[in-house]
Amino acid sequence: MGSRFRFVNVVLYGAVSLWSLFVLLPLVWMVIASSKTRREIFLDPLGLPAQFRLDAFERAWSVGMGTFLFNSAIITFFSVIVIVVVSGMAAYVLARSDNKWMQLVYLMIVAGFAVPVQAVLVPLFQMVSEAGMLNSRAAIVLPYAAYGVPFTTILFYAFFLDFPRELEEAARLDGCGRLQIFFRIILPLSGPAIASAAIFQAVFIWNEFVLALLMLTKPALKTLPVGILQLTGEFTADWPAIMAGLSIAVLPILLIFILAQKYFVRSLAGLGK
Amino acid sequence: MPHLEIKNLVKKYGDFTAVKDVSFAVEQGEFVVMVGPSGCGKSTLLRSIAGLEEISSGEICINGRDISRDEPSDRGVAMVFQNYALYPHMTVRQNMGFALKIAGAPKREVNEAVERAAAILRIQEQLDKRPKALSGGQKQRVAIGRAITRSPDVFLFDEPLSNLDAALRSQMRIELGRLHTELGATMVYVTHDQTEAMTMASRIVVLHDGIIEQIGTPLDLYNEPHNRFVAGFLGSPRMNFIEARAEQSREGMVSVSAPGLDGSLRIKLKAGADAPAPGEKVTVGVRPEAFGEHDAGGWTIKGSIAVIESLGRETLVYLDGGQVRATDSESHEGYFAVHRTRQITARHGDGLTVTVDPNAVFLFGPDDETIAFPQSHHSIIHNQV
Repeated sequence: MGSRFRFVNVVLYGAVSLWSLFVLLPLVWMVIASSKTRREIFLDPLGLPAQFRLDAFERAWSVGMGTFLFNSAIITFFSVIVIVVVSGMAAYVLARSDNKWMQLVYLMIVAGFAVPVQAVLVPLFQMVSEAGMLNSRAAIVLPYAAYGVPFTTILFYAFFLDFPRELEEAARLDGCGRLQIFFRIILPLSGPAIASAAIFQAVFIWNEFVLALLMLTKPALKTLPVGILQLTGEFTADWPAIMAGLSIAVLPILLIFILAQKYFVRSLAGLGK
Repeated sequence: MPHLEIKNLVKKYGDFTAVKDVSFAVEQGEFVVMVGPSGCGKSTLLRSIAGLEEISSGEICINGRDISRDEPSDRGVAMVFQNYALYPHMTVRQNMGFALKIAGAPKREVNEAVERAAAILRIQEQLDKRPKALSGGQKQRVAIGRAITRSPDVFLFDEPLSNLDAALRSQMRIELGRLHTELGATMVYVTHDQTEAMTMASRIVVLHDGIIEQIGTPLDLYNEPHNRFVAGFLGSPRMNFIEARAEQSREGMVSVSAPGLDGSLRIKLKAGADAPAPGEKVTVGVRPEAFGEHDAGGWTIKGSIAVIESLGRETLVYLDGGQVRATDSESHEGYFAVHRTRQITARHGDGLTVTVDPNAVFLFGPDDETIAFPQSHHSIIHNQV
């Protein structure tokens, strides 16, 4: 091991450590701020609270965090299911086809990835409204799914290109049709790809704000990001309660990520083939 | 009626024709090995029989029924893949019973079929393991077991032994031979390894560039190859070829001479063969075991030992003939491969003289067709052990 190698290591570890701090500090600040008073937050933003208190969590919970949590979970769950099934099947067909039109379809799906939500907000709202789906869970699950499909299709496409074809051929000889091959052979062996697609989409959907704000106005249907907004008034905001609400909101997704990060990293490492 | 019949099969990929108008028939219970260098179309042919490749034209019949447009699972074939292709998320038992389960067979029937196949292959202890926990040889057994469970009309093997090490490969060769006898099944086996072809086949189909060069029993092909390609492909080390020119021919005999070798070789042409015109290019083929030690009225090659391989009961010598070179040789350096059925103590650089008996050589005409066979075949002993 030469000194040059050690130097490179020091630089690399230094850079990664700085980056980690950059990412983690706001999270730490959020948790600390949730046990401060409003006065402390503004007078001494970086200091520790004089007294450790949990009343902000109580206030946050009292505006209906439980309902929001449940709504977010339901909506995230169904969106992810739709995304995984639709993009899995689409990517499989695209990865196995030699047809050049199919390649065009794939390109269009990839291009869909580049359209920002904000650009289609108004027409999307009109469509959902015309369909009479405003203030229903479908009003948000379907657009989320539509937005999740392109990225997940790219992810699955790369994964399926490497999937051993002999297994599919063996399954054909064993009497499986296309759908049976997909559901009995491919899906059970796509664990890593599914896990990473699911986490990626779950994080996005869990945190999504604009569409949820637009489509869901009934308090009983609101998701966490929109629900937490209730803690701000026109002239004043209960910042400790907002931070407490955010801390509650972050916890489930953080847990899932920590549990499944192995798959997440593994499949992203295989991307870009 | 043949059990499996291929009629005028053509398989094209765009402009490239992988299989060119191939026809042959396999009888019930035969073990047919399709052999050839990579890219000769043998795997494509096998996959076409299995239904994994759509054929461009022609017919594939099993028991007289044209199956060439049927789904793979409706053809009555089972295939063993080179990489085993076992489903990693299923146990051995589930792997082996999968086809019957998909076909909707009752659980009891699936279990019986799996147990029966496992007993034949002696893998009963492995039934509840996942493929990941098995060794290469065990995996291949399971893959074969999966085929047996389906009790197909025809077994297809796609280079099933090429992922195994040498010791396991020869063990599995014997095992496959036993299995073939025990099941009495029709098997079509693809390999690029001529040893596998020679040892296991009831008949060999030699393929080259998408066409069949020759079909016959291993010894037929070894003793009477139709052309230089077949002669060179079967046998290890391969046949030694010496480029030569025809001189005059008379009464079914032709004289040939080669640069660097004294005298000419008078070879008896096979019946009906056209004698090459004087001056035409011909090739003399000598099997490694056909080199003599005493002058038999032919050529004498004086050289030195380049490489010597002592295998105990036999010895292989690679002879550097100086100016006289073997073309297209095993060693790629123009050395002559010489086989002796005894132990020889010699070293690199030692001198060695071998003779070429005109009655022990093959002769290939200008178009590489065989025009003369050795007069005395290695004495074939029938049913005497």
